[in-house]
Amino acid sequence: MIGEFLDYAINGALIGLLYALVAMGFVVIYRASKVFNFAQGELVVVGGFIVWWLTLGMGLPWYFAIPLAFLLAAIVGYVIERLFFSKLVGESVFSMVMVTIGLLILIRGIVLVVFGAQVRPFPTIFPLKPIIIGDVLIPQSLLYGGILAVIIALALSWFFNQTRTGLKMTASAEDHQVALSMGISVRMSIAAAWVMGSVISTIGAIIFLSGKSLTFLASEIGFIALPVALLAGLESIGGLILAGIIMGVVQGLAEGYLDPIVGGSVGSILPFFIMVFILFVRPTGLFGWKTIERV
Amino acid sequence: MLLKVNNVEVIYNDVILVLKGVNMTMEEGSCIALLGANGAGKTTTLAAISGIIKSEDGKVTSGSIEFDGQRVDNQSVESNVARGLIHVMEGRKVLQHMTVEKNLIVGGHVLKSGAEVKQRIENVYTLIPRLAELRKRTAGYLSGGEQQMLVIGRALMANPRLILIDEPSLGLAPLMVEEVFKILKELRKSGISLFIVEQNTQAALEVADYGYVMENGRIVMDGEADQLMKNEDVREFYLGLNMEGERKSYRDVKHYKRRKRWLG
Ligand SMILES: Nc1ncnc2c1ncn2[C@@H]1O[C@H](COP(=O)(O)OP(=O)(O)OP(=O)(O)O)[C@@H](O)[C@H]1O
Ligand SMILES: [Mg+2]
Repeated sequence: MIGEFLDYAINGALIGLLYALVAMGFVVIYRASKVFNFAQGELVVVGGFIVWWLTLGMGLPWYFAIPLAFLLAAIVGYVIERLFFSKLVGESVFSMVMVTIGLLILIRGIVLVVFGAQVRPFPTIFPLKPIIIGDVLIPQSLLYGGILAVIIALALSWFFNQTRTGLKMTASAEDHQVALSMGISVRMSIAAAWVMGSVISTIGAIIFLSGKSLTFLASEIGFIALPVALLAGLESIGGLILAGIIMGVVQGLAEGYLDPIVGGSVGSILPFFIMVFILFVRPTGLFGWKTIERV
Repeated sequence: MLLKVNNVEVIYNDVILVLKGVNMTMEEGSCIALLGANGAGKTTTLAAISGIIKSEDGKVTSGSIEFDGQRVDNQSVESNVARGLIHVMEGRKVLQHMTVEKNLIVGGHVLKSGAEVKQRIENVYTLIPRLAELRKRTAGYLSGGEQQMLVIGRALMANPRLILIDEPSLGLAPLMVEEVFKILKELRKSGISLFIVEQNTQAALEVADYGYVMENGRIVMDGEADQLMKNEDVREFYLGLNMEGERKSYRDVKHYKRRKRWLG
């Protein structure tokens, strides 16, 4: 009994960390540009296809292919920002969101044309053999992915809160006008954020897809990252870890205990219920920036 | 000559003419005050010099602005900050969610090394000791006066030669205004040039050597600060004093101000 519970909870938590990782890409972009990127999952897919192309397609060894994949993903992020968003700084949230939806459709189209619709095997980057502790069975890719997610969150938090470059980006995240008046290049900050967001998505793709198969359906992970980001509060990177774990455990338990009773899908819609609930009771999430009103 | 504003015209959104042939000059190490009623074009003047108007759809359409002999009109804010020309915007725009010290670190983003940043932060704390006490506090929760000190300190981090400061006294209690202007006087002593936009004419003219009065996008009067202070029109409409030296009620002055034209 308890073993079963732990199995659901621990695996849920690890999957939650993966959501958190994908959400990090989303939040990095949102902070800098205030673009609510609905195409975040598509960035994961693009990252996935780049990795697939370099490893299984071109036959490069992984230690060579992965850094190269990051580089290509960075270029993709940069190009997207230049082409679609650089002209939109200061435009309404609505028009930005519309552009991200357009981007989503566009990327799907391009992926389909370039890579075709067939299911591809994804390289096994993490060992497949699960780790078994008592009744708990943990896939190694999830475990390493979870650890990696935590490390990346800590690194990003440190970068944005402690380093000079990171603080500069945080400043432009907080207020474009103020940052600009200090001579900070807001454009550069936003471009850097898209580059980072795109690379993080590729890391997410590697963990999520390792040893599985790759189609554009993988983009659905981007949609679950959304409620995680909202739960954390859109500006907090460290908060994503906690939010991811909460979301993952809740989902894991619901899938384990509720889905068999009601015949499925409670687990997959629960995150969105939580999201709507959060938006009602605490729109800034657990750790987001509250508006400071001083009179 | 440190700053030379030569016959400058500014147009917003390609149609709204806001500055009409503005001329000003200032020497290195000096302090000038720009006075004028609401909507006169004071903020626009600062924004034209610092380059911020670009981000507000404004443009210098004729004339020129020179800083230390180089054209700075229609240049990017980044390049102007790098030249040592920094604009402290009105409204005490702190980075709300950051601590005081991190605000300062960001202000020093143009400096070359982290060591240099540390050094300058210490300098700022020496100049504005209150900020040292507040270093770990979140900027958004500081009082108005403290926030004003912070934005001044943050500007200092960029190692400026000229600070353009917009209405530093706005909405502050008289004691705080005094504090802030004391800091501005200290800055002057350290050799930094100051361009102050103020509605608090008294306070501004006390620090400044020279003053300009702006109305409807034109300079309508200028002179040595002490001369302006004695000038009857300035006394009446900006200092709120009539010939007998009595302070008029704010409402009277305000009412007058709207009708009075300086050209005449
Ligand atoms: N971005 C803008 N677009 C169009 N018009 C503007 C813009 N900014 C200012 N103006 C107009 O330019 C004129 C001068 O404004 P400005 O802000 O420079 O005045 P000010 O002297 O600083 O006034 P205040 O004392 O109220 O701050 C005003 O009529 C204002 O409406
Ligand atoms: Mg103004």
